Amino acid sequence: MPKVELLAPAGDIEKLKFAYLYGADAVYCSGKKFGLRANANNLTLEEIKEATKIAHDLNKRIYITVNIIFHEEELEGLEAYLLNLSEIGIDAIIASDIHVIKIAKSLNCSFEVHISTQASVLNTEAALFYKKLGVTRIVLAREASLSDIEDIKKKTGLELECFIHGAMCTSFSGRCVLSNYCTNRDSNRGGCAQICRWTFDYPESTVPFSMTPKDLNLVEYIEKMINVGVNSFKVEGRMRGIYYIATVILVYRRLIDQIQEKTLTQQEVKYYLSILNRCANRESTPQFINKLPTNEEQYFLGRDEVSNQDFLGMVLDYDEETNIVTLEQRNYFEKGTEVEFFGPKIETFSYKVNKIYNEKMEEIEVANHPQMIVKLEIKQKVNKYDMMRLKVFDKQNFL
Amino acid sequence: MLAKEKMTNKYLLAVTNDLLNLKVKNLNFLFPIEGLSIGFKDVFKLSEIKKENAYIYINRILDKESILSLKEELKQLNENIIGICFNDLGVITVVKELNLPLQLIYMNNHNTTNKASINDYLEYVDSVLISTDLTEEEIRIILEEAEKPLVLPCFGLVEVMCSRRPLLTNFQTEFDLELKKEQVLYEGISNTAFRVVENEYGTAFYKDQYIDYRQIKHEKIGFYYINGLNLTQEDIEKIINNEKMEKTESGFLNKKTYYRLKEMNECQK
Repeated sequence: MPKVELLAPAGDIEKLKFAYLYGADAVYCSGKKFGLRANANNLTLEEIKEATKIAHDLNKRIYITVNIIFHEEELEGLEAYLLNLSEIGIDAIIASDIHVIKIAKSLNCSFEVHISTQASVLNTEAALFYKKLGVTRIVLAREASLSDIEDIKKKTGLELECFIHGAMCTSFSGRCVLSNYCTNRDSNRGGCAQICRWTFDYPESTVPFSMTPKDLNLVEYIEKMINVGVNSFKVEGRMRGIYYIATVILVYRRLIDQIQEKTLTQQEVKYYLSILNRCANRESTPQFINKLPTNEEQYFLGRDEVSNQDFLGMVLDYDEETNIVTLEQRNYFEKGTEVEFFGPKIETFSYKVNKIYNEKMEEIEVANHPQMIVKLEIKQKVNKYDMMRLKVFDKQNFL
Repeated sequence: MLAKEKMTNKYLLAVTNDLLNLKVKNLNFLFPIEGLSIGFKDVFKLSEIKKENAYIYINRILDKESILSLKEELKQLNENIIGICFNDLGVITVVKELNLPLQLIYMNNHNTTNKASINDYLEYVDSVLISTDLTEEEIRIILEEAEKPLVLPCFGLVEVMCSRRPLLTNFQTEFDLELKKEQVLYEGISNTAFRVVENEYGTAFYKDQYIDYRQIKHEKIGFYYINGLNLTQEDIEKIINNEKMEKTESGFLNKKTYYRLKEMNECQK
């Protein structure tokens, strides 16, 4: 089975480090300019330089999004920006505007050019158009079926990247300007106000019209996607926090590794699905990969997206002699709380909090202050940057 | 052999059944094609198209099946069809592969927003639709610098969103409502109405107000594009005769869009 890439989002350097630590082979981020998440933190050129060093020291890859649709005013500075990225040595840009591709090629930039999902490529002939421009990888439209993917791979030989997890646009990417008309914020330059999450009056109904898709989740199709030639498996969510990134990336890392080692069971697939759905606080489905989505793949009324407080703590230290773990608290927990520890180098395990200590090793009843330092005694070894979450599912029940 | 017609300051009308008998000089008909287009109530089979110098409209994002269907359709083209307006860049590869002497017009509205990109596309096609997401100043810069004649959106409903999902059907199914393929929806915060048209290939949202760009004239305009959806023959005649029309707006001609909230807030102070 060919080696494939797990590609994670990273809105800043901290998230990038967690993405790599938890198993991503590559990350994608945006600079301060020209990316479609204009109101996220994003990275300065200095930070991109630092991020690239981190990536390459770990023998991993980093891609920078340059995927807005340019107006005249943004063209100024584009060449200099691409030359900077080239000099820094990033591995690829993700672009959708034809001019970005042409300029990058004419400047002999050192990086590869990947076509963004914004270009909504769904067929071989469109992929071949981009191949002739020098593009090496296509991020396929989220509307691609397994059959579309297989055909494109066979007939183009291009690297293919597919979104496997996260939020979906209602529209074909790049073909929506609802935000422009409702809020004057340009969706194709990074200002999307997510109007497809709003409601609309529908003449013959007291229920408002809505069209929000459930999230994408392709856990059950990863093996088939590897078999038809997908090279890179991409997780959406540059605005998401480290807990989300760590959880989702670790699940997909283990899933992909188990598929390649041929050790994955259906019970484990079910367990992974439960973890992923819980983490995102909303339902997810395979969407377009196997059929045209129906009302079952959308949210209407009664959307259940209440934020949970599962992320309880981050491991800062573990003393193997005393079995004391030092944690930075992230959400309330108390004596008696059933928790799980998970991390890139440990098997997820359960633990019941019997005693909680403060920094001075004085026993306390609850951990109730954000980022307070607490200590627990646990026999199983954990590592710095492992995480502690509320135990919701017991893996044993799935096996 | 199909002829290539010169584009100079003519009208290109996305046609409906109601507009088929229209007789106006300097106007070419653009036919949305059955199975390959989206957002139009009336679609046409290639064999039904009898108008001279007609263009066909393929505005779907094409998947494996639909591109095969496109190839089959194009093998049976009548000589009266002289060009294709399209959204999916795969069409360029197909037309080249079949060696068809058709005019190619790239009409991916929200993707053609600067002179450099438009000139890049013009290396592969005969013309490009200028985006409706631009100010008049931006449009004029593009027209000045364009290396070939361009298509200017002149009048009609503007598609503002296009989804592969059957969004009306899904909503109507969920709440047991009468199944309708066209509906006007209203968004209260922005006070905006959208006309929504669905077919089996997806759903298109139009701003339910006609953009009117008739004030823009330029020698580089090959076609003034009119979307005939919801317009009558009389309306088209009025548009071409530069008469006043109701329910119009100037889109973003005089209104710049923003994408950084900081800039937007500063602008609103």
